[in-house]
Amino acid sequence: GPDLTTQEFKQATKENMSNVTFVEYEVLLPGVPGTSMEKNITLDSATIIELSCRLDNKYSRLKRFQVTWKRGNETIRHIDKTENSWSIQLKILDSSKLGSYSCTLKGEEEISAVFYLQVPKIEGKEKPIVSYEGDSAIMICKSFGYTPIAWTWYMMNGSEQIAINDSLLADKYVINSVSANVTHLKILKLTKEDDGVYWCEAAFELGRSKGNLKLKVLSLMVPLKPFLAIVAEVVILVTIVFLYEMYSKKKEKCAEDEKEFDQAEQLKSEESNGLENSSARNRK
Amino acid sequence: PPANVGRAPGPPDGGWGWVVVVGAFISIGFAYAFPKGIAIFFKEIQDFFGTSYGEIAWVSSIMLATTYGAGPISSILVNRYGSRPVVIFGGLLCGIGMVSAAFCTSILQLYICVGFITGFGLALNLQPSVIIIGKYFLKRRPIANGLAMAGSPVMLCTLAPLNQFLFDNFGWRGSFLILGAILLNCCVAGALFRPIRAAPASVKPQVTEEGKDALKEEVTEEAMEMSSPTNVPMANKTEEEGGKDCCEKINQYLDFSLFKHRGFLIYLIGNVLMFLGFFAPIVFLAPYAKHIGIDEYSAAFLLSILAIVDMIARPTTGIIANSKWVRPRIQYFFSFSIAFNGTCHLLCPLASGYTGLVVYSIFFGLAFGMVCAMLFETLMDLVGAARFTSAVGLVTIAECCTILLGPPIGGTLIDTFGDYKYMFIKCGAVMVLAGSFLFIMNYYNYRMLAKEEKERKAKEEDPKSVRTENEGRNNWNKETAQDGPELEPLREEQEGLKKEVNGT
Repeated sequence: GPDLTTQEFKQATKENMSNVTFVEYEVLLPGVPGTSMEKNITLDSATIIELSCRLDNKYSRLKRFQVTWKRGNETIRHIDKTENSWSIQLKILDSSKLGSYSCTLKGEEEISAVFYLQVPKIEGKEKPIVSYEGDSAIMICKSFGYTPIAWTWYMMNGSEQIAINDSLLADKYVINSVSANVTHLKILKLTKEDDGVYWCEAAFELGRSKGNLKLKVLSLMVPLKPFLAIVAEVVILVTIVFLYEMYSKKKEKCAEDEKEFDQAEQLKSEESNGLENSSARNRK
Repeated sequence: PPANVGRAPGPPDGGWGWVVVVGAFISIGFAYAFPKGIAIFFKEIQDFFGTSYGEIAWVSSIMLATTYGAGPISSILVNRYGSRPVVIFGGLLCGIGMVSAAFCTSILQLYICVGFITGFGLALNLQPSVIIIGKYFLKRRPIANGLAMAGSPVMLCTLAPLNQFLFDNFGWRGSFLILGAILLNCCVAGALFRPIRAAPASVKPQVTEEGKDALKEEVTEEAMEMSSPTNVPMANKTEEEGGKDCCEKINQYLDFSLFKHRGFLIYLIGNVLMFLGFFAPIVFLAPYAKHIGIDEYSAAFLLSILAIVDMIARPTTGIIANSKWVRPRIQYFFSFSIAFNGTCHLLCPLASGYTGLVVYSIFFGLAFGMVCAMLFETLMDLVGAARFTSAVGLVTIAECCTILLGPPIGGTLIDTFGDYKYMFIKCGAVMVLAGSFLFIMNYYNYRMLAKEEKERKAKEEDPKSVRTENEGRNNWNKETAQDGPELEPLREEQEGLKKEVNGT
């Protein structure tokens, strides 16, 4: 199959590629035993990239290795960078060159590493955005570190993805880019039909990337039920407290009345005793 | 007639008082925890209205400023109407504020609904709750205060996950609606605040024997003069009202004569200074943790540790402060806890890694709880429960400025030096300074009070100094400015004796 080698690289340098970035990535083998070494590399624009696998000094003197670089089933010719490192150089101009590239060192054991070349990931929102009928909702997508060329929003209608055209339905959808890395979709006058999954897609030179958002549209009745339940609870509790207070006041008043009655009786009997005594004295 | 015809019953120190503590727990909890708990909604609201973070943060600041700044209004209303109606009205106001916030269409409306209206409602909740504890408790007041103030961390721990749950299920509008209903529970708390006739004797069980005796005989004369207006006014009052001038009328609503009270001034200056460094460390604890490389969840967990230790520390401090060794010297205990708090902050930059920060959080939670539990108890102790109503209003409006300034100054220090340690040093230094100031000034205050008491005793023994009741009461305001509260029971004894002589 096609051999992506340094030949193409030499050709490229002859052309005017002054605005192409050059990056290098190196992986140290064997790494953590039992796990395979993986590296995720994010590319957003045309890049010349060099991927290398280097073997730790401890091992190199002991054994001889056979090194293979592959993409899928294709073998890629590599360069011996140093005594114990091997690399390939790739010219990434479009999405066809993205994917996973692996280096394998076959000796007594087989050690390998995989490089994943991909477009930048877009962050949507994991939790659904909750809004209400008649209200509006804002959905935001961000791209971290890389600036997309364009943003597109999609809506899921059944199983189809429909692009949202904000110029066509200007009083329903407003698409805004606050900054180049951030896009806002504002949906006005929400209805139940707006409920569902939305996608924001960022277009990069090397491909497209999507972020996922969920919108939930609730009717006003939904929060109203707990609200009324709690208000009812408050009214009931306040009524109970006041009723209990009136009841205990009545009890106190009854007890006081009884006491006063007893005291009056006592006074009366004392008076009558006193009168008896005085009359007794008078008689004497 | 029996000897105690002129004396009113003292505070119950129990019974229905514990129910009042539960109500105060709820009220105080909402007042302190709600502004912090609302921060969860800010990110979403910020995106919705397209504003910057600074503009959203104003909502919290306005709410906090209104809760503290409306203190004097709260005090005036309590002086006039008693605690219960004010708290119920406050609860209604909070509910209305949040429900209208659910229908807001601009950030300005949010400032008004959430910031002003709800903030004002919370202010009408906070002050009366603290005041009514002073009316219901005397001997066990520190415990009651400690328990009631524990409402703040408990509510915060409850509100934080609750708010998150509400937000995930109902969005910010639905959450505000439901939170409005939840805040109406403050009305339930208010309903529990049964008005009580007698204000407790403003006794400070001081070093003297008289103090201890006065504690046993809980008499109050102030109760008849300045307590809840449900009391039948005394016959002398009509004479007094005729002779009242403008100042006395204002003082009836908000006692500005407190500014001549030595203890009050000491407390005011010390606390205003303390609040400069009080809240900033909490605000910046999680960002600091993230700054030194700790992940978001562990950083949030630090605040949870703080809240849990705080929850336990407050009632415990109340119990300790109530013990017979600490209660007479409670001001020293308060100053010590402020200084301890400051020392924690000063040592924080030395804490390395997550374990160090956990230890710091535990000690900070402990110190924070100790200070908060005694915050109002010490003020009550200094000015007495009857004047406390006005005192708390004046103190909160003064603290309002430094509370608002504290975190922004800390933030400026962090931005200028790019390092959090200067903020911790500033907070620690301010609090150690405040603690030392309070310690020294209270030592001076205790000595002055002891001296004045000796002079009073000497005068009392002189029979020519027995005044008429009216004269005594007219001189009341001037005298209480200089005298400490523990001298009042002595005067009460005097008045009681006079009544026996003059009365039926």
